[in-house]
Amino acid sequence: MRLMHTSLPEFKLKIQGAVLKGSPNKKLKIKGLESLKSAKMQSLRTGRIEKAVEEVSMDKESSEIEVIVMPRVPETMHTVIVKGYDKEENPTKAILEVINIIHPTEQVELDGFDNIDDRRPSIGKH
Amino acid sequence: MKKLKIRLMEKGTGVKQGVPINMAFVDLKDIKAIDITEEEAANIIAEYLDSPVAINIFDMDAITTTSDGIVVESAITTMAAGDKGKVHPEFGILNMEAMEVTENLITEEPHLKQIKAYNFEDNILFRGPNPAKKLIPVHNVVMTGAAINNNSATEVMNAVTMEEMLLPYLGQKQIMEDGDILLGVTGQEISVGIGMTVAEKFGRVFPTRQFSAGETAHGSGDYAKTLKENIPIIVAPKDVLAKYIIRALESGMVPGKDIGCSPAVLKVAHSLGTKIDLDNINNSAWEELNSIGIKKEDLEKPSPQMTKEEIIENVEKIIPGVSKPKRVDSKNVVKKISININ
Repeated sequence: MRLMHTSLPEFKLKIQGAVLKGSPNKKLKIKGLESLKSAKMQSLRTGRIEKAVEEVSMDKESSEIEVIVMPRVPETMHTVIVKGYDKEENPTKAILEVINIIHPTEQVELDGFDNIDDRRPSIGKH
Repeated sequence: MKKLKIRLMEKGTGVKQGVPINMAFVDLKDIKAIDITEEEAANIIAEYLDSPVAINIFDMDAITTTSDGIVVESAITTMAAGDKGKVHPEFGILNMEAMEVTENLITEEPHLKQIKAYNFEDNILFRGPNPAKKLIPVHNVVMTGAAINNNSATEVMNAVTMEEMLLPYLGQKQIMEDGDILLGVTGQEISVGIGMTVAEKFGRVFPTRQFSAGETAHGSGDYAKTLKENIPIIVAPKDVLAKYIIRALESGMVPGKDIGCSPAVLKVAHSLGTKIDLDNINNSAWEELNSIGIKKEDLEKPSPQMTKEEIIENVEKIIPGVSKPKRVDSKNVVKKISININ
Protein backbone atom coordinates (compact mmCIF):
# COMPACT_ATOMS: atom_id res chain seq x y z
CA MET A 1 0.00 0.00 0.00
CA ARG A 2 2.86 2.33 0.86
CA LEU A 3 4.00 2.56 -2.75
CA MET A 4 0.60 3.10 -4.29
CA HIS A 5 -0.44 6.39 -5.80
CA THR A 6 -3.84 7.98 -6.26
CA SER A 7 -4.84 9.78 -9.46
CA LEU A 8 -5.47 13.53 -9.24
CA PRO A 9 -9.23 13.32 -9.99
CA GLU A 10 -9.61 10.56 -7.43
CA PHE A 11 -7.70 12.61 -4.87
CA LYS A 12 -10.14 15.49 -5.37
CA LEU A 13 -13.12 13.15 -5.11
CA LYS A 14 -11.78 11.66 -1.89
CA ILE A 15 -11.36 15.13 -0.38
CA GLN A 16 -14.90 16.05 -1.44
CA GLY A 17 -16.18 12.79 0.05
CA ALA A 18 -14.42 13.51 3.33
CA VAL A 19 -16.10 16.94 3.56
CA LEU A 20 -19.50 15.35 2.92
CA LYS A 21 -19.01 13.08 5.92
CA GLY A 22 -19.27 16.23 8.03
CA SER A 23 -22.32 17.57 6.25
CA PRO A 24 -23.53 17.82 2.64
CA ASN A 25 -23.97 21.56 3.23
CA LYS A 26 -20.32 22.30 4.00
CA LYS A 27 -18.37 24.15 1.34
CA LEU A 28 -14.96 23.03 0.02
CA LYS A 29 -12.20 25.03 -1.64
CA ILE A 30 -9.07 23.29 -2.94
CA LYS A 31 -6.22 25.68 -3.74
CA GLY A 32 -2.78 25.03 -5.21
CA LEU A 33 -3.61 22.27 -7.67
CA GLU A 34 -5.07 24.52 -10.37
CA SER A 35 -2.15 24.12 -12.76
CA LEU A 36 -1.96 20.34 -12.44
CA LYS A 37 -3.71 18.53 -15.26
CA SER A 38 -2.55 15.04 -14.41
CA ALA A 39 -0.68 13.77 -11.40
CA LYS A 40 -0.31 10.76 -9.16
CA MET A 41 -0.73 11.62 -5.51
CA GLN A 42 0.97 9.66 -2.71
CA SER A 43 -1.73 7.24 -1.49
CA LEU A 44 -0.65 6.92 2.13
CA ARG A 45 -0.74 10.71 2.47
CA THR A 46 -4.01 10.95 0.54
CA GLY A 47 -5.58 8.76 3.20
CA ARG A 48 -4.17 10.87 6.02
CA ILE A 49 -5.38 14.09 4.31
CA GLU A 50 -8.82 12.55 3.80
CA LYS A 51 -8.89 11.79 7.52
CA ALA A 52 -7.78 15.36 8.37
CA VAL A 53 -10.46 16.87 6.10
CA GLU A 54 -13.08 14.62 7.64
CA GLU A 55 -11.95 15.63 11.14
CA VAL A 56 -12.22 19.36 10.37
CA SER A 57 -15.52 18.86 8.54
CA MET A 58 -17.00 16.94 11.49
CA ASP A 59 -16.28 19.97 13.65
CA LYS A 60 -19.64 21.70 14.02
CA GLU A 61 -18.06 25.16 14.03
CA SER A 62 -16.43 24.70 10.61
CA SER A 63 -18.90 25.49 7.82
CA GLU A 64 -16.30 25.84 5.09
CA ILE A 65 -13.22 23.72 4.50
CA GLU A 66 -10.13 24.95 2.66
CA VAL A 67 -7.47 22.54 1.47
CA ILE A 68 -4.30 24.29 0.38
CA VAL A 69 -1.47 22.46 -1.35
CA MET A 70 1.81 24.38 -1.36
CA PRO A 71 5.50 23.47 -1.77
CA ARG A 72 6.90 21.92 1.41
CA VAL A 73 10.41 23.02 0.40
CA PRO A 74 9.92 26.74 -0.29
CA GLU A 75 12.29 26.94 -3.23
CA THR A 76 11.25 24.89 -6.23
CA MET A 77 13.15 24.29 -9.46
CA HIS A 78 11.15 24.19 -12.66
CA THR A 79 11.79 23.44 -16.29
CA VAL A 80 10.29 26.04 -18.58
CA ILE A 81 9.38 24.92 -22.10
CA VAL A 82 8.94 27.61 -24.72
CA LYS A 83 7.14 26.14 -27.74
CA GLY A 84 6.31 27.61 -31.14
CA TYR A 85 3.75 26.37 -33.66
CA ASP A 86 3.01 27.30 -37.30
CA LYS A 87 -0.42 28.25 -38.64
CA GLU A 88 -1.32 24.58 -39.01
CA GLU A 89 -0.30 24.06 -35.40
CA ASN A 90 2.73 22.01 -36.35
CA PRO A 91 5.64 22.34 -33.91
CA THR A 92 8.28 24.83 -35.10
CA LYS A 93 10.79 25.29 -32.29
CA ALA A 94 11.12 24.52 -28.59
CA ILE A 95 13.55 25.94 -26.05
CA LEU A 96 14.08 24.49 -22.59
CA GLU A 97 14.99 26.81 -19.75
CA VAL A 98 15.00 26.58 -15.96
CA ILE A 99 13.61 28.84 -13.26
CA ASN A 100 13.86 28.63 -9.48
CA ILE A 101 10.87 29.93 -7.57
CA ILE A 102 10.92 31.10 -3.95
CA HIS A 103 7.64 30.66 -2.09
CA PRO A 104 6.35 31.82 1.26
CA THR A 105 6.11 29.11 3.92
CA GLU A 106 2.89 27.85 5.52
CA GLN A 107 2.76 30.63 8.12
CA VAL A 108 1.18 33.00 5.57
CA GLU A 109 -1.86 30.71 5.39
CA LEU A 110 -2.33 30.38 9.13
CA ASP A 111 -3.30 33.92 10.13
CA GLY A 112 -5.72 33.84 13.07
CA PHE A 113 -5.43 30.10 13.73
CA ASP A 114 -4.55 29.20 17.32
CA ASN A 115 -5.49 25.54 17.04
CA ILE A 116 -2.84 24.13 14.70
CA ASP A 117 -1.95 20.44 14.72
CA ASP A 118 1.22 19.94 12.66
CA ARG A 119 1.22 16.28 11.65
CA ARG A 120 3.98 16.50 9.06
CA PRO A 121 6.99 14.27 9.53
CA SER A 122 10.38 15.95 9.28
CA ILE A 123 11.92 16.27 5.82
CA GLY A 124 13.13 12.91 4.58
CA LYS A 125 10.68 10.89 6.70
CA HIS A 126 7.82 10.64 4.27
CA MET B 1 16.05 39.22 33.87
CA LYS B 2 18.13 38.58 30.76
CA LYS B 3 17.93 41.09 27.94
CA LEU B 4 18.86 40.57 24.29
CA LYS B 5 20.24 43.68 22.62
CA ILE B 6 19.43 44.15 18.93
CA ARG B 7 19.56 46.86 16.30
CA LEU B 8 16.13 47.13 14.63
CA MET B 9 15.46 48.72 11.26
CA GLU B 10 11.74 48.87 10.79
CA LYS B 11 9.92 47.87 7.62
CA GLY B 12 9.65 50.83 5.23
CA THR B 13 13.04 52.38 6.12
CA GLY B 14 14.81 53.63 3.01
CA VAL B 15 13.90 55.08 -0.37
CA LYS B 16 10.73 54.11 -2.32
CA GLN B 17 8.92 51.38 -0.40
CA GLY B 18 12.11 50.87 1.65
CA VAL B 19 13.01 47.64 3.37
CA PRO B 20 10.08 45.24 2.76
CA ILE B 21 10.29 43.50 6.14
CA ASN B 22 11.81 44.38 9.51
CA MET B 23 15.56 43.94 9.85
CA ALA B 24 17.23 42.84 13.07
CA PHE B 25 21.02 43.16 13.31
CA VAL B 26 22.58 41.31 16.23
CA ASP B 27 26.11 41.14 17.61
CA LEU B 28 27.14 37.57 18.47
CA LYS B 29 28.80 38.96 21.62
CA ASP B 30 25.39 40.15 22.86
CA ILE B 31 23.99 36.63 22.34
CA LYS B 32 26.91 34.96 24.09
CA ALA B 33 26.71 37.49 26.93
CA ILE B 34 23.32 36.12 27.97
CA ASP B 35 24.30 32.51 27.36
CA ILE B 36 21.78 31.57 24.67
CA THR B 37 22.28 30.04 21.21
CA GLU B 38 21.97 31.91 17.93
CA GLU B 39 18.84 29.88 17.15
CA GLU B 40 17.28 30.82 20.49
CA ALA B 41 18.14 34.47 19.84
CA ALA B 42 16.49 34.35 16.40
CA ASN B 43 13.33 32.83 17.88
CA ILE B 44 13.24 35.42 20.67
CA ILE B 45 13.44 38.23 18.09
CA ALA B 46 10.77 36.61 15.88
CA GLU B 47 8.45 36.20 18.84
CA TYR B 48 9.05 39.79 20.02
CA LEU B 49 8.36 41.35 16.60
CA ASP B 50 5.59 38.91 15.58
CA SER B 51 5.83 40.15 11.97
CA PRO B 52 8.09 39.40 8.98
CA VAL B 53 11.73 39.97 9.95
CA ALA B 54 15.19 39.17 8.62
CA ILE B 55 17.71 38.47 11.39
CA ASN B 56 21.43 38.83 10.72
CA ILE B 57 23.93 37.81 13.39
CA PHE B 58 27.45 39.28 13.20
CA ASP B 59 30.80 38.24 14.59
CA MET B 60 32.56 41.59 14.67
CA ASP B 61 35.91 39.84 15.26
CA ALA B 62 35.59 37.66 12.16
CA ILE B 63 36.27 38.67 8.55
CA THR B 64 34.40 38.34 5.28
CA THR B 65 34.62 39.34 1.62
CA THR B 66 32.46 41.66 -0.43
CA SER B 67 30.99 40.36 -3.69
CA ASP B 68 33.94 41.83 -5.59
CA GLY B 69 36.43 40.12 -3.30
CA ILE B 70 37.46 42.90 -0.92
CA VAL B 71 38.37 41.45 2.49
CA VAL B 72 36.82 43.38 5.37
CA GLU B 73 36.54 43.15 9.13
CA SER B 74 33.45 41.45 10.67
CA ALA B 75 31.12 38.87 9.14
CA ILE B 76 27.61 37.51 9.24
CA THR B 77 27.71 34.10 10.92
CA THR B 78 24.00 33.27 10.93
CA MET B 79 21.01 34.45 8.97
CA ALA B 80 17.40 33.85 9.88
CA ALA B 81 13.89 34.82 8.84
CA GLY B 82 10.95 35.09 11.20
CA ASP B 83 7.21 35.62 10.85
CA LYS B 84 4.10 35.11 13.01
CA GLY B 85 6.33 34.94 16.05
CA LYS B 86 8.47 32.05 14.84
CA VAL B 87 11.52 31.05 12.88
CA HIS B 88 10.73 28.14 10.55
CA PRO B 89 12.54 25.17 12.10
CA GLU B 90 13.61 23.71 8.74
CA PHE B 91 14.01 26.67 6.39
CA GLY B 92 14.20 29.69 8.67
CA ILE B 93 17.81 29.67 9.88
CA LEU B 94 21.20 28.95 8.35
CA ASN B 95 24.79 29.26 9.56
CA MET B 96 27.62 30.51 7.41
CA GLU B 97 30.63 28.19 7.16
CA ALA B 98 33.80 29.03 9.05
CA MET B 99 36.58 28.69 6.47
CA GLU B 100 40.05 27.46 7.22
CA VAL B 101 42.38 29.76 5.33
CA THR B 102 45.10 27.47 3.98
CA GLU B 103 47.84 28.12 1.42
CA ASN B 104 45.81 25.98 -0.97
CA LEU B 105 42.70 28.11 -0.47
CA ILE B 106 44.71 31.29 -1.09
CA THR B 107 46.15 29.77 -4.29
CA GLU B 108 42.61 28.98 -5.48
CA GLU B 109 41.26 32.33 -4.31
CA PRO B 110 44.01 34.95 -4.73
CA HIS B 111 41.91 37.75 -3.27
CA LEU B 112 42.49 36.08 0.10
CA LYS B 113 46.12 37.30 -0.01
CA GLN B 114 44.58 40.38 1.61
CA ILE B 115 44.18 38.37 4.83
CA LYS B 116 47.96 38.19 5.28
CA ALA B 117 48.46 41.75 4.07
CA TYR B 118 46.08 43.07 6.73
CA ASN B 119 47.31 40.67 9.48
CA PHE B 120 43.90 39.03 9.70
CA GLU B 121 45.30 35.49 10.02
CA ASP B 122 43.76 35.07 13.49
CA ASN B 123 40.29 36.20 12.41
CA ILE B 124 37.82 33.54 11.25
CA LEU B 125 36.64 33.88 7.66
CA PHE B 126 32.94 33.49 6.84
CA ARG B 127 31.24 33.97 3.46
CA GLY B 128 28.21 31.79 2.65
CA PRO B 129 26.87 28.48 3.99
CA ASN B 130 28.11 24.98 3.27
CA PRO B 131 25.64 23.61 0.68
CA ALA B 132 25.77 20.16 2.31
CA LYS B 133 24.24 21.65 5.45
CA LYS B 134 21.21 23.35 3.88
CA LEU B 135 17.86 22.00 2.72
CA ILE B 136 17.05 24.67 0.13
CA PRO B 137 18.35 23.46 -3.22
CA VAL B 138 19.65 26.55 -4.99
CA HIS B 139 19.83 29.87 -3.20
CA ASN B 140 21.56 30.65 0.08
CA VAL B 141 18.22 31.65 1.49
CA VAL B 142 16.09 31.30 4.61
CA MET B 143 12.38 31.89 4.81
CA THR B 144 9.54 31.89 7.29
CA GLY B 145 6.08 32.95 6.21
CA ALA B 146 6.46 36.09 4.10
CA ALA B 147 10.02 36.87 5.26
CA ILE B 148 12.80 35.93 2.87
CA ASN B 149 16.47 36.55 3.67
CA ASN B 150 18.54 35.70 0.61
CA ASN B 151 22.10 35.59 -0.76
CA SER B 152 23.61 34.93 2.65
CA ALA B 153 21.75 37.85 4.23
CA THR B 154 22.41 40.56 1.63
CA GLU B 155 19.00 40.69 -0.02
CA VAL B 156 15.60 40.66 1.67
CA MET B 157 12.16 40.10 0.20
CA ASN B 158 8.55 39.91 1.24
CA ALA B 159 7.09 36.81 -0.42
CA VAL B 160 3.55 38.21 -0.25
CA THR B 161 4.01 41.84 -1.36
CA MET B 162 6.95 40.68 -3.54
CA GLU B 163 8.96 43.78 -2.60
CA GLU B 164 12.72 43.44 -2.39
CA MET B 165 15.76 45.34 -1.10
CA LEU B 166 19.50 44.90 -1.46
CA LEU B 167 21.72 45.14 1.62
CA PRO B 168 25.32 44.71 0.46
CA TYR B 169 27.65 43.78 3.30
CA LEU B 170 29.43 47.09 3.83
CA GLY B 171 26.16 48.92 4.52
CA GLN B 172 25.32 46.36 7.21
CA LYS B 173 28.83 46.72 8.64
CA GLN B 174 28.23 50.46 8.93
CA ILE B 175 24.99 49.79 10.84
CA MET B 176 26.80 47.46 13.26
CA GLU B 177 29.46 50.14 13.78
CA ASP B 178 26.91 52.98 14.18
CA GLY B 179 28.27 54.70 11.06
CA ASP B 180 26.62 56.58 8.22
CA ILE B 181 24.72 54.68 5.53
CA LEU B 182 23.46 55.58 2.08
CA LEU B 183 19.78 54.95 1.39
CA GLY B 184 18.80 54.95 -2.26
CA VAL B 185 17.68 53.06 -5.31
CA THR B 186 20.15 50.49 -6.66
CA GLY B 187 20.59 52.02 -10.12
CA GLN B 188 22.28 50.58 -13.17
CA GLU B 189 25.92 50.62 -12.02
CA ILE B 190 25.40 48.53 -8.88
CA SER B 191 23.03 46.25 -10.79
CA VAL B 192 25.99 45.49 -13.07
CA GLY B 193 28.61 45.62 -10.29
CA ILE B 194 27.09 42.96 -8.04
CA GLY B 195 27.60 40.47 -10.86
CA MET B 196 31.36 41.11 -11.05
CA THR B 197 32.19 38.51 -8.43
CA VAL B 198 35.25 36.46 -7.51
CA ALA B 199 35.44 32.67 -7.38
CA GLU B 200 34.83 31.41 -3.85
CA LYS B 201 34.17 28.06 -2.23
CA PHE B 202 31.03 28.47 -0.09
CA GLY B 203 30.54 31.99 -1.43
CA ARG B 204 27.79 34.33 -0.40
CA VAL B 205 25.82 33.66 -3.60
CA PHE B 206 27.49 30.64 -5.22
CA PRO B 207 28.53 27.49 -3.34
CA THR B 208 31.34 26.66 -5.79
CA ARG B 209 33.98 28.69 -7.63
CA GLN B 210 31.68 29.47 -10.52
CA PHE B 211 32.70 32.95 -11.68
CA SER B 212 36.25 34.29 -11.45
CA ALA B 213 37.56 37.85 -11.35
CA GLY B 214 37.18 39.34 -14.82
CA GLU B 215 33.93 37.47 -15.44
CA THR B 216 30.30 38.34 -14.85
CA ALA B 217 27.91 36.14 -12.93
CA HIS B 218 25.01 37.82 -14.70
CA GLY B 219 26.14 37.22 -18.28
CA SER B 220 23.11 39.07 -19.51
CA GLY B 221 24.57 41.85 -21.67
CA ASP B 222 22.53 45.04 -21.83
CA TYR B 223 19.97 43.61 -19.43
CA ALA B 224 22.38 43.31 -16.48
CA LYS B 225 21.99 47.01 -15.71
CA THR B 226 18.23 46.60 -15.38
CA LEU B 227 18.19 43.49 -13.14
CA LYS B 228 18.11 45.32 -9.79
CA GLU B 229 17.95 48.87 -11.13
CA ASN B 230 14.69 49.94 -9.56
CA ILE B 231 14.74 48.29 -6.16
CA PRO B 232 15.82 50.11 -2.97
CA ILE B 233 19.24 49.56 -1.49
CA ILE B 234 21.22 50.39 1.64
CA VAL B 235 24.98 50.67 1.18
CA ALA B 236 28.02 52.19 2.83
CA PRO B 237 28.71 55.78 1.77
CA LYS B 238 31.09 55.98 -1.21
CA ASP B 239 34.01 57.38 0.82
CA VAL B 240 33.81 54.30 3.08
CA LEU B 241 33.65 51.98 0.08
CA ALA B 242 36.61 53.79 -1.51
CA LYS B 243 38.76 53.29 1.62
CA TYR B 244 38.25 49.53 1.51
CA ILE B 245 38.92 49.39 -2.23
CA ILE B 246 42.09 51.51 -1.87
CA ARG B 247 43.36 49.25 0.93
CA ALA B 248 42.87 46.21 -1.31
CA LEU B 249 44.57 47.88 -4.26
CA GLU B 250 47.51 49.00 -2.13
CA SER B 251 47.92 45.44 -0.89
CA GLY B 252 48.58 44.44 -4.50
CA MET B 253 45.13 43.29 -5.59
CA VAL B 254 44.60 43.62 -9.34
CA PRO B 255 41.02 44.20 -10.56
CA GLY B 256 40.02 41.69 -13.21
CA LYS B 257 42.60 39.20 -11.95
CA ASP B 258 42.54 38.99 -8.15
CA ILE B 259 39.42 41.00 -7.33
CA GLY B 260 36.23 41.63 -9.28
CA CYS B 261 35.91 44.21 -12.04
CA SER B 262 32.93 46.10 -10.60
CA PRO B 263 32.52 49.71 -11.77
CA ALA B 264 33.51 51.03 -8.32
CA VAL B 265 36.71 48.96 -8.19
CA LEU B 266 37.72 49.83 -11.77
CA LYS B 267 37.12 53.56 -11.32
CA VAL B 268 39.04 53.76 -8.04
CA ALA B 269 41.93 51.70 -9.45
CA HIS B 270 42.18 53.94 -12.51
CA SER B 271 42.03 57.11 -10.40
CA LEU B 272 44.74 55.78 -8.09
CA GLY B 273 46.85 54.46 -10.96
CA THR B 274 47.18 50.84 -9.82
CA LYS B 275 47.24 47.97 -12.29
CA ILE B 276 44.01 46.67 -13.84
CA ASP B 277 44.11 43.40 -15.81
CA LEU B 278 42.04 44.78 -18.68
CA ASP B 279 42.85 41.83 -20.96
CA ASN B 280 41.57 39.30 -18.42
CA ILE B 281 38.15 40.93 -18.30
CA ASN B 282 36.08 38.83 -20.67
CA ASN B 283 33.74 40.00 -23.42
CA SER B 284 30.56 39.33 -21.43
CA ALA B 285 31.83 41.51 -18.59
CA TRP B 286 32.88 44.26 -21.00
CA GLU B 287 29.47 44.16 -22.65
CA GLU B 288 27.84 44.85 -19.27
CA LEU B 289 30.42 47.49 -18.31
CA ASN B 290 30.06 49.22 -21.68
CA SER B 291 26.30 49.38 -21.20
CA ILE B 292 26.83 51.73 -18.23
CA GLY B 293 29.59 53.76 -19.86
CA ILE B 294 32.68 51.99 -18.45
CA LYS B 295 34.91 51.61 -21.53
CA LYS B 296 38.21 49.80 -21.94
CA GLU B 297 39.67 52.70 -23.93
CA ASP B 298 38.98 55.11 -21.08
CA LEU B 299 40.69 52.83 -18.57
CA GLU B 300 43.68 52.52 -20.95
CA LYS B 301 44.19 56.29 -20.79
CA PRO B 302 46.83 57.51 -18.33
CA SER B 303 45.66 57.54 -14.73
CA PRO B 304 45.23 60.93 -13.06
CA GLN B 305 47.42 59.39 -10.27
CA MET B 306 45.24 60.83 -7.56
CA THR B 307 46.18 60.47 -3.93
CA LYS B 308 44.01 58.55 -1.51
CA GLU B 309 42.86 61.82 -0.02
CA GLU B 310 41.95 63.25 -3.44
CA ILE B 311 39.94 60.12 -4.26
CA ILE B 312 38.01 60.35 -0.99
CA GLU B 313 37.42 64.07 -1.57
CA ASN B 314 36.12 63.49 -5.11
CA VAL B 315 34.53 60.11 -4.50
CA GLU B 316 31.04 61.16 -5.58
CA LYS B 317 32.40 61.91 -9.06
CA ILE B 318 34.59 58.79 -9.18
CA ILE B 319 32.36 55.95 -7.93
CA PRO B 320 29.14 55.65 -9.91
CA GLY B 321 25.91 54.12 -8.63
CA VAL B 322 22.88 54.58 -6.33
CA SER B 323 19.98 56.71 -7.56
CA LYS B 324 18.19 59.13 -5.21
CA PRO B 325 20.96 58.79 -2.60
CA LYS B 326 20.34 60.01 0.92
CA ARG B 327 23.19 59.81 3.43
CA VAL B 328 22.00 59.33 6.98
CA ASP B 329 23.47 58.51 10.35
CA SER B 330 22.44 54.86 10.82
CA LYS B 331 21.65 55.65 14.46
CA ASN B 332 18.77 57.81 13.21
CA VAL B 333 17.10 54.99 11.28
CA VAL B 334 18.12 51.96 13.34
CA LYS B 335 16.77 51.64 16.88
CA LYS B 336 18.79 49.93 19.58
CA ILE B 337 16.40 47.92 21.71
CA SER B 338 16.63 45.31 24.45
CA ILE B 339 14.22 42.41 24.50
CA ASN B 340 13.33 41.00 27.90
CA ILE B 341 13.73 37.25 28.03
CA ASN B 342 11.49 35.28 30.37
